[in-house]
Amino acid sequence: MKAFLPKDNLVPLLTRVGGYMEVVAPIKVEGVPVFASWSGEFLALKDNPLLSPLEFFLPQRETLFRYVQDSGRYSFESPLGKVRLVFGIRPCDLRALTVLDSIFGSYPLDQIYFDKRRSTVLVALNCSQPGESCFCERLGSGPSCSDAVDLQLTEIADGYVIETGSPAGILILKAHPEFFLEVSRSHLLEKDELMKQAKEAMKDRIPRSLPEIKEAIEKADWSSLGRLCLNCGSCTFVCPVCHCFTIQDLGVPDGERIRCRDTCLLSGFSRMAGGANPRSNRGDRMKNWYLDKFEYIPQRTGLLGCVGCGRCSKVCLAEMDRWSLEVRR
Amino acid sequence: MSEYIPLQAEIVDIDIESSNTYLISLKPLDGAGFGYKPGQFVMVSVFGLGECPISITSSPTRKTLQLCIRRAGKITNGIMDCRVGDVLGIRGPYGNGFPIEKMKKDIIIAGGGSGFATLRSLVNYIVDRRSAFGDVAVAYGARTARDLYFMQEYKSWQQAGIEVGITVDIGDESWKGNVGLVTALMDKFRLTAGSAAICGPPVMINAVAKKLMDKGFDHSDIYVSMERHMKCGVGKCEHCMIGPYHTCQDGPVFSYDKVKSVL
Repeated sequence: MKAFLPKDNLVPLLTRVGGYMEVVAPIKVEGVPVFASWSGEFLALKDNPLLSPLEFFLPQRETLFRYVQDSGRYSFESPLGKVRLVFGIRPCDLRALTVLDSIFGSYPLDQIYFDKRRSTVLVALNCSQPGESCFCERLGSGPSCSDAVDLQLTEIADGYVIETGSPAGILILKAHPEFFLEVSRSHLLEKDELMKQAKEAMKDRIPRSLPEIKEAIEKADWSSLGRLCLNCGSCTFVCPVCHCFTIQDLGVPDGERIRCRDTCLLSGFSRMAGGANPRSNRGDRMKNWYLDKFEYIPQRTGLLGCVGCGRCSKVCLAEMDRWSLEVRR
Repeated sequence: MSEYIPLQAEIVDIDIESSNTYLISLKPLDGAGFGYKPGQFVMVSVFGLGECPISITSSPTRKTLQLCIRRAGKITNGIMDCRVGDVLGIRGPYGNGFPIEKMKKDIIIAGGGSGFATLRSLVNYIVDRRSAFGDVAVAYGARTARDLYFMQEYKSWQQAGIEVGITVDIGDESWKGNVGLVTALMDKFRLTAGSAAICGPPVMINAVAKKLMDKGFDHSDIYVSMERHMKCGVGKCEHCMIGPYHTCQDGPVFSYDKVKSVL
């Protein structure tokens, strides 16, 4: 199903939806766009925020369950989920969720992740103006959505072309017909033209191709790169596919078991009780990160573990060339 | 229900196994059943301290679920502070276990140090299903005689027709047995090329595997149980990755050809 949403109707529509579920959208917090709970703030839709909406599926910190002790025996309480609409997820971050669905959905299923996934309506925003460090087009994850999504929007001159991708998406259109107009042929042509230009805009970007990335990984001097890497983990915290986590308990005798995001670049990540550490070397950890994205995740899911969002290059404190992997001397 | 919520199991018995190791017997609460295979492991919880992976040391052919706990870190210390009647959380069993159906009938089992805990499950399984197996030998080495596990069981293994060799790195006056490496023990065995199950420190695994391959074992018939740091046990948290494999789901038992590059 397709429809047209005039620009002035976007905020009233989201306000109406916000009446019965939490709306998450990119807003500016201290001048920086972030995905956050929205209640009428200015929508920061120009650039994709530095952090993807992953926070709403695999938060930096979340409760797995609470344990309550009574006479030496325990009872467990699971936290309740929240019904949400995430507005403005970009095609690359949507692809990242598809990869995570495959990882968290492999047996045994991660119920905590899927509770959130199933109670969230996703509204994607196609990238008619890709950001400067984006190269999604190279990896087939953008600039238009090619993964399952409830609704996708493409901005054109005076509004948005809306396409539904699920019953939940159709329901939103049907529940609020007053905000939508019929989409015209010229709207659709305008959309196609814009998306074609967006693809063109990424033509000369680096990295130039997937084989080129793979070749750079193969040729890389990991011990030199390991000396450059500061092991800060920034790239893993902004990556929409990175999902390493740790689990810990808080509280005695009652308390909660929480999971927090972790990163495979930290030295203690694979250290065992007793001290043995199979990846004690920085270069080895960095190589593992690249191989995971370009070899291991593809083996497990059939999809690349990199979506071409370019965030890792943006935040690298060592200002490493993340794609040529050349060591500048 | 969430995979992360553990089953509760009461500690019904605690035995001192060696200078720093306890053998803990568990009974799942509410009559819950707990099936498993030799070589699998459980995530053990001490609520308030956290969770860690512990291999199952009992055989599924016997009634009681047993874990061998060596004092190594925060959580194992917490487990060793528990008393009979206390409750631990267990999740699992996880991992693939030893591929008994795929293994040849003649089996050599080689363990070093605390790595022997997971192999005892396989040894007792073979004892209880003796007719299904051919020539079986056990080679086990520990640092000192005080560090040897399951000493009271060796005789029952021999009575079941299993060749048992025990060695220690450092002997003393009270120790009348072998002193030296596990590989030296194996020289005394009549080895026919079959399957092998190994668990121990990497250097020991490599030495044993090399000896076996020299004797004509195929590297794909040599199974190694690997140790890795783990958090989730279900292939999501990525702590236990060995190349493309998750030790918790694809392992902990791997054929030697798959893991020799990281040993």
